[in-house]
Amino acid sequence: MTRSRRLSEHARTVLCALLDAREAWSHGYELSRLTGVKPGTLYPLLIRLEASGYLVAEWQQLAKVGRPPRHAYRLTASGVLLARENPPAAASGGAEFGQDALA
Amino acid sequence: MRPGFQRALADRLCSLLHAISPKEIRGWAEALRSEIANIPHDGEALRFVSGSLCGLLPRILLTNLQTTIIALAGGEHIDGGSTAMGFSLHRFSQLRLVGVISLIAAIGLGLAYMAAAGAPAAYLTLNLAALVLGLVMLGAILRLSPIARQWPGLGSFAMAIVLLATSLFGSAVEGAARWFVLGPLFIQTSLLFLPVMIVAFARTRNRLATSGICVAALALALQPDRAMAGALVAGLTVLAMYRLDRAVSVALASAALAFLVTLTRPDALSAVPFVEQILFSAFDIHWLAGAAVWLGAALLLVPAIAGWQGNADARKTAAVFGSVWLAIILAAVVGNYPTPVVGYGGSAIIGYLLCLCALPTSVERQSQTDTSLADRKVRDHRPGASRMRALSIVACL
Repeated sequence: MTRSRRLSEHARTVLCALLDAREAWSHGYELSRLTGVKPGTLYPLLIRLEASGYLVAEWQQLAKVGRPPRHAYRLTASGVLLARENPPAAASGGAEFGQDALA
Repeated sequence: MRPGFQRALADRLCSLLHAISPKEIRGWAEALRSEIANIPHDGEALRFVSGSLCGLLPRILLTNLQTTIIALAGGEHIDGGSTAMGFSLHRFSQLRLVGVISLIAAIGLGLAYMAAAGAPAAYLTLNLAALVLGLVMLGAILRLSPIARQWPGLGSFAMAIVLLATSLFGSAVEGAARWFVLGPLFIQTSLLFLPVMIVAFARTRNRLATSGICVAALALALQPDRAMAGALVAGLTVLAMYRLDRAVSVALASAALAFLVTLTRPDALSAVPFVEQILFSAFDIHWLAGAAVWLGAALLLVPAIAGWQGNADARKTAAVFGSVWLAIILAAVVGNYPTPVVGYGGSAIIGYLLCLCALPTSVERQSQTDTSLADRKVRDHRPGASRMRALSIVACL
């Protein structure tokens, strides 16, 4: 039996934001503000996306002196595919979404 | 709230998250710390980190439980001693492992007795839930132990304050105030915290830890709790046999005074079914039920016997551990006090697991790494040390 790949609305929203960023790197706080997804939901989601190979995470040294390196995120090729196949509800005409397949 | 305080609190929460996180999540905890450094508003940074902590906590707790179970199952060693879950097995020492196995066996025997005695299913479920919760806490505490070592005695003192708060504000039954009520649960804080405090005191003594023991003695006198005051005296007496320094003398005097106070105060609590006097009443059901209860209680002393095979630190700590739990069991024999672990109640189960945290990491005879500096100076060099050891064996068994 094939497991259906149905993502939660939060997962779709975050994937959409990462897809919009294209090749640019995104950060946790920025993603949370941009998508409205609370950090308590965002970080477990990012962990699952990275563990599943949809996301690549990297430490980046900032140009500003005195700032610590920052963890940055970008979709992998499979992550881009996943994001395109799973747009947020608003973008796909309000379809219903079930459980987070990455949970 | 001052902005600086919010930022400091956010940093502390990050440190806590990092400390309790398993290896695979630790990088994300660091990511969170770097992220809040880039959030200009302190309040927003605090909200961000507290929200993240809440979101990650279930995953961390689940992983801690998994790592504990893997460690119990023998955990696959990779990368120089780490398990696949990023959990170093040697931190989960042989003594603790023996203790957890003994505890699980004792709980199983207790459940068998309770099922035979017709206890409500909720009672059995609660004991099992306490085991799971205790194992989760054990995993988290072992991860936090490097931080706790930076403030020796602070944990003991904090636990003593909880004991005192229980005496002053806790729920009272027939004149005894020993419980904190948490929803439907009656939590006996002395069973939770006192054993670990005593065993930790056996290994690390400073002013804060000694004050903690004195406050705990005061709390037990106020409650009053004759059984736990007796356990405190028993543990400290065995410790005094090894080393009667100023800290131990003060603590033992406080404990003895508290025990005397509890003896003078009336203790009119009647026996609670499935909790107290079961070491005898179990035989009314079937001799096997009685045997299960006694065997279960005896299993709690196995780490003390196992520790006797180890180095000086392990022997001393195991002797104190054994004397404390033996005193608690004996109290259940002679009075209306809870029979630990085999009877209904989660406080003793979690308390036993917490107590295991205070056992030494290494029991190897050659090991020096876990022996406290204070004890290194005196162990095995005192006149009559072997006689003291012999007395401790008696106390253990």
